[in-house]
Amino acid sequence: MIVRPSLLLLLAVVLAAPRVAAEPGVTDTEIVVGGSNSFSGPLAYTGEQITKFGIDLYFKVVNDAGGIHGRKVRAVYYDDGYRPQDAVANTKKLVEQDNVFAIIIPQGSPPVVATLEYLEQQKVPMLFPYQSSPVTRGRRYVFQGMTLSDRSSRMMIDYLAGTRKFKKFAALYQDDEYGKSFLAAFEKDLGRYGLKLTATESVKRGVADVSAQIAKLHAARPEVTFLVLVPGPAAHALRERQKIGWTDTLMVSTGPLTDEKYLALATDAANGVEGLSLWPDPMTSDLKGVQLYRAYMLKYFPKNEPNRYSLAGYFAGMLFTEAAMRAGRNLTRDSLVTALESIKGFETGILPPLTIGPDHETQKQGFWVRVEKGRFTPLTDWLKSE
Amino acid sequence: MRAAALAGGAVVVLGWPWAVPRYFVFLASLIAINAIVAIGLNLLTGYTNQLSFGHAGFLAIGAYAAALLTIQAPLVPLPLTLLAAGLVTAAVGLALGVPCLRLEGLYLAMATLAFGFVVVEAILNLDWLTRGNDGLRVPAARLGPWPLATDTSRYYLVVTVAALLIVAARNITSSRTGRALLALRESEIAAQASGVNLAAYKTLAFVVSAFYTGVAGGLFALVVGFLSPDSFDVFLSVDFVAMIIVGGLGSILGSVMGAAVITTLNDSLAGFQSYRPLIFGAILVASMLFMPGGIASALHRAQPRQGDRA
Repeated sequence: MIVRPSLLLLLAVVLAAPRVAAEPGVTDTEIVVGGSNSFSGPLAYTGEQITKFGIDLYFKVVNDAGGIHGRKVRAVYYDDGYRPQDAVANTKKLVEQDNVFAIIIPQGSPPVVATLEYLEQQKVPMLFPYQSSPVTRGRRYVFQGMTLSDRSSRMMIDYLAGTRKFKKFAALYQDDEYGKSFLAAFEKDLGRYGLKLTATESVKRGVADVSAQIAKLHAARPEVTFLVLVPGPAAHALRERQKIGWTDTLMVSTGPLTDEKYLALATDAANGVEGLSLWPDPMTSDLKGVQLYRAYMLKYFPKNEPNRYSLAGYFAGMLFTEAAMRAGRNLTRDSLVTALESIKGFETGILPPLTIGPDHETQKQGFWVRVEKGRFTPLTDWLKSE
Repeated sequence: MRAAALAGGAVVVLGWPWAVPRYFVFLASLIAINAIVAIGLNLLTGYTNQLSFGHAGFLAIGAYAAALLTIQAPLVPLPLTLLAAGLVTAAVGLALGVPCLRLEGLYLAMATLAFGFVVVEAILNLDWLTRGNDGLRVPAARLGPWPLATDTSRYYLVVTVAALLIVAARNITSSRTGRALLALRESEIAAQASGVNLAAYKTLAFVVSAFYTGVAGGLFALVVGFLSPDSFDVFLSVDFVAMIIVGGLGSILGSVMGAAVITTLNDSLAGFQSYRPLIFGAILVASMLFMPGGIASALHRAQPRQGDRA
């Protein structure tokens, strides 16, 4: 039994070998960033696309073009399976062991919220978290990725109550922060038009059957019914509506539902559903940046179909690269923050010209789409939330 | 020999935060927490042959109990908070243990599996208390005058509690109670015939196991700092079972080693992403095939003892 302690001590000595670097994650030849993401669990597909086929895709392009001021850029990922404790462990490991320069595009509210305080304390940038809860606001080292829920709400109501002149709104929402934050934002934005939600029904997370709620909402006869749900129950809601022949309402979906893959769950019941799309169509858009994205995907990962998750990761890689380029050869965490804050009218070819202000939000827009035969047909140009 | 090993172990545990990079202090805290759960589970499974796939549920109850107590009553001293977390969980263990007396083997495994899901659903539905799906941020606790703000301070708290619980487990298993539990595992009929009260001891094992896991849950809340129902999925329960299988059923030292191996493995496989379950599964199968008694019995066999027959 005397063996074990001495082995552990040896291990301790090996592990304690010092590392020397001026700024963590930045050497003469390399920049290392990292992220905890879902490679297993409910969001595994999304996580893999964002990271390995998104961020890495853009980094391959950058590295083949000579890197960032002569440095190659590389990303390290760990799997948290959507579990907050694993996200905490992974993030600590990335910061303390792998010495990453920044955390890039972590996914999902629970894992992101669990690591927010720690990263802010350590002054490590958290770049473009892929979640929509406004909890990420007001932090020096956090730059929000996805359009936040209150901005989405403003665009949706301005379009539906303002442009389309709808008067009677109802909502079916998931009974948690995601659902409630949308509900509160809807009420507030409808208030500006002298309107309010005429009926609301809630769904607990994990509940698949929403037929009772659909029947009640049907009875209230709204012109517009918001679905603030996750894919499973949302698809059920759409099929249920089809079953009872409820046709005189416009179904509008939020957040994760504006995605072809998930709408496919509802099959033809999804036809006619409208919503806010945060990204141009990755498969068909003829925007310069999206065409380029497809060309690179074909070159580096020919077997992987373009999709909005890898596009989001690709975009995050692009934004990081732009900021690191602006920060210059003397790259530090603080100079990166300053560089990101200085981005004005940056042409990505994917989203409208990008300006990041003191609010640290990188996406503030979306455009209106309608589902037709399993694809999104755009109905508007980019809508604004300011 | 034994004393030297113990002293050596103590030096390593106490000196650990000063010898290794910061991340390994955090990792060691997780190992110690998992070790407490593994000991608790081993008292149930290794000693009375009752298999549980619901220990993530007990961990959740302890974690939420401690977190809510810290938030609602910040003046309650930390040791009491942890004790309360253990007692609340033990009460739930009692409530689960009594009806489970009628179940054996696979049926018990299914019942405990269901229990794990019920706990997660309960956390989701008690959202006025637990903040449901949104998760609960656990404020930094204080131990008397010291704020437990660093990984190192929390590490010392965790290993102290773990040490106390290891000593307690040793006392339980080497007492009359422990021998009664072991007798139950070998043959329930024979044990009953020798005067062991089957129902009482089986329930006791459930309660003690839940208490251990509840205390571990309280420490988990402190160390991780954020709880959500997603933290306590069924795979966590499976990890706990894996710990005692790899470490060795019916062995306290084995529980600790199993916890260390599985936790370290999980941590080092985090980078393998989608291959993680595959690699993890292969290691488990291999250890069952080639090391059926776990690390503890493998060590036992490798170590010649004085007085052993040739």
